[in-house]
Amino acid sequence: MSNHLPPHLQRRTFLKLGIASAVVLAVAGGAVALIKPGLVDGKLSPSARLVYTRVAQALLAGTLPRDAQAQQKAMDALLDRADAFFAGLPNHVQAELSELLGLLATAAGRRGLVGLSASWEDATVAETTVALQGMRVSSMALKVQAYQGLHDIVCAPYFSGDESWVLLGYPGPHAV
Amino acid sequence: MSNIPDPILEGLQRGWKVLGGKHGPLPARIDCDVAIIGSGAGAGITAELLTKAGLNVVIVEEGQLKTSTDFKQREPEAYASLYQESAGRKTKDKGITILQGRSVGGTTTVNWTSSFRTPPDTLKFWQDKFGLKDYNVEALAPYFQDAQTRLNIAPWAVAPNENNELLRRGAAKLGIACEVIPRNVKGCYNLGSCGMGCPTNAKQSMLVTTIPFALDHGATLLVETRVEQLKIADGRITGMQCIAVKPNAAPVSTADPATTIVAKHYVLAGGAINSPALLLRSKAPDPHKLLGKRTFLHPVAITLAVMKDTVAAWSGAPQSIYSDHFLHTQPIDGPIGYKLEVAPLHPVFFGANLPGFGEKQAELFRQYPNANVMLALMRDGFHDQAVGGAVELRGDGSPLLDYPLTDYVLEGARRSMLAMAQIQFEAGATMVYPGHEMGEGTSTWLATKAAIEALPMKPLLTKIGCAHVMGGCGLGGDDKLGVTRPDGVHWQLENLSIHDGSIFPTSIGANPQLSIYGNVNRLAQGLAKRLASKDVTLA
Repeated sequence: MSNHLPPHLQRRTFLKLGIASAVVLAVAGGAVALIKPGLVDGKLSPSARLVYTRVAQALLAGTLPRDAQAQQKAMDALLDRADAFFAGLPNHVQAELSELLGLLATAAGRRGLVGLSASWEDATVAETTVALQGMRVSSMALKVQAYQGLHDIVCAPYFSGDESWVLLGYPGPHAV
Repeated sequence: MSNIPDPILEGLQRGWKVLGGKHGPLPARIDCDVAIIGSGAGAGITAELLTKAGLNVVIVEEGQLKTSTDFKQREPEAYASLYQESAGRKTKDKGITILQGRSVGGTTTVNWTSSFRTPPDTLKFWQDKFGLKDYNVEALAPYFQDAQTRLNIAPWAVAPNENNELLRRGAAKLGIACEVIPRNVKGCYNLGSCGMGCPTNAKQSMLVTTIPFALDHGATLLVETRVEQLKIADGRITGMQCIAVKPNAAPVSTADPATTIVAKHYVLAGGAINSPALLLRSKAPDPHKLLGKRTFLHPVAITLAVMKDTVAAWSGAPQSIYSDHFLHTQPIDGPIGYKLEVAPLHPVFFGANLPGFGEKQAELFRQYPNANVMLALMRDGFHDQAVGGAVELRGDGSPLLDYPLTDYVLEGARRSMLAMAQIQFEAGATMVYPGHEMGEGTSTWLATKAAIEALPMKPLLTKIGCAHVMGGCGLGGDDKLGVTRPDGVHWQLENLSIHDGSIFPTSIGANPQLSIYGNVNRLAQGLAKRLASKDVTLA
């Protein structure tokens, strides 16, 4: 590595969430070493994709199409937009979200941070909804931060899609 | 296909010197009279005046050069390419989301055009507390007038859209005065898309005014180029190291700096948060531990109303009506005062920022055409419980603002939510939702009042946003009171001027763009006189 670079570019990024992850896992009986990155090359890893899908199904309940086939199509489009959204974020934000999604994909993170006992595979929308509501109004700042982070990364890409315009009644940009 | 002319593309075809990104590689070294860091409000004004004085200027912008041809009025592209951190910049505890620009033109490319002079009571406070005796209404008036003429700033003469009109209507029923907002527009199409970049070049942002002037007069613009470090020796800047960055701000390469710029004088105008961060990275002298401190945000509390009739808050001039009533109902250093305005609502902004989720939120989404979001911009910096935030550096050198929300500020959120909810009901709201994770919609003023009074006002639970970043390199009449001298020069670095919103010693108490234009106009005219012995003005 060149020695012309300022020192801060030569150091590895240290993530604040790292400490919080360790605390959550210690309480819930997991280990930091079990966390796999939630984002790989700026895209959702397979396990993070499942977390994201279950969270999105709860956050967007009543907004996503009710028909199973249509909902699957909407979810696929949302996942594509989410990957594009992540790729545009600064590295430090990507790293933090990667760690959050990686933590949530572990059983200890799911129980400790989300308060969800069912696996992500089996969790129903109703169970996820209860868990997210618990995070949302928790007295523990980390849980509220995690909830709001999930809300951001689901809702911003969702409403980036033109198909949400019909639901909203937004006519689209003015012609110029 | 739009047939609106694009003055930036035309300028590039005329041979403007623009480098970086797709515009061409950076030379290893650039020499110039003045290097300007940033291309937003303070940088643009400075660039025009210094080139007018005949100086050889280089402007360095971290973001991309995007123009009206790119501005398609679509949020995802705009947020990713025109805003810091994809419009998701957050304070350290994530309690406040910060909207701040990041492209050529800085925040002026994406702001909502509201243009106010620095309020007299704010200037009085600066005189009394920060020894800034020349910062008074009379002395600054000609510089504000000059900027207003140059940027076509005048009260909006067209009828406000319903989103703004309902603020005036509801407030009037309560005896609360509202005024018309002055805007920096010329031939405005009244689209409402200002926040995604003006597609018609009507907004007189730096992108279409001062930066083109500077480029037409020989300036060089480097884009997608970040100043990593100022080299400092013996109380002077001796050069600055720049790297090429990707659209998401990541370095293009971990190899040597892309370019080194050596200038006679340097002007730091990267905006609050970024300007103090560069000085922190550069280990600039800070004998009184003031650098990056007192960074202010006008923390914004919101209430959302569903109105009886259609509002269409996405359409029409985003902000045209305001009320300063609650800035004047108590002393400036008493309980926190706030300015009332409204927000334009496009799908992502609406969908991502509303509290709540699931079936209940889905119901609300369907009310979007009837929705109104009212904003209370709280005036921080005038009380010992509102000392703002402190800029820190992450391990990778990027800035992070630690801004703890105090009970004092959060009580202001409660008072302002009460005021806004009452105005919304008077204007015809059928439901009002406070911007709070525990807030539920209620259908009468009395029920809403009771609900807001019962809410725990805590960080994160109370939804706080912000679009105005000020301070961190504050002006001071002596070196113990500020980072920056009254003439804009750094107190310890004689060839560095700071010309952006970071110099404000408090928040402004109004949307800050014209405060930056007017105050920097005076500083830059003085700098042109000192460096080139020329008298120059904007208009």
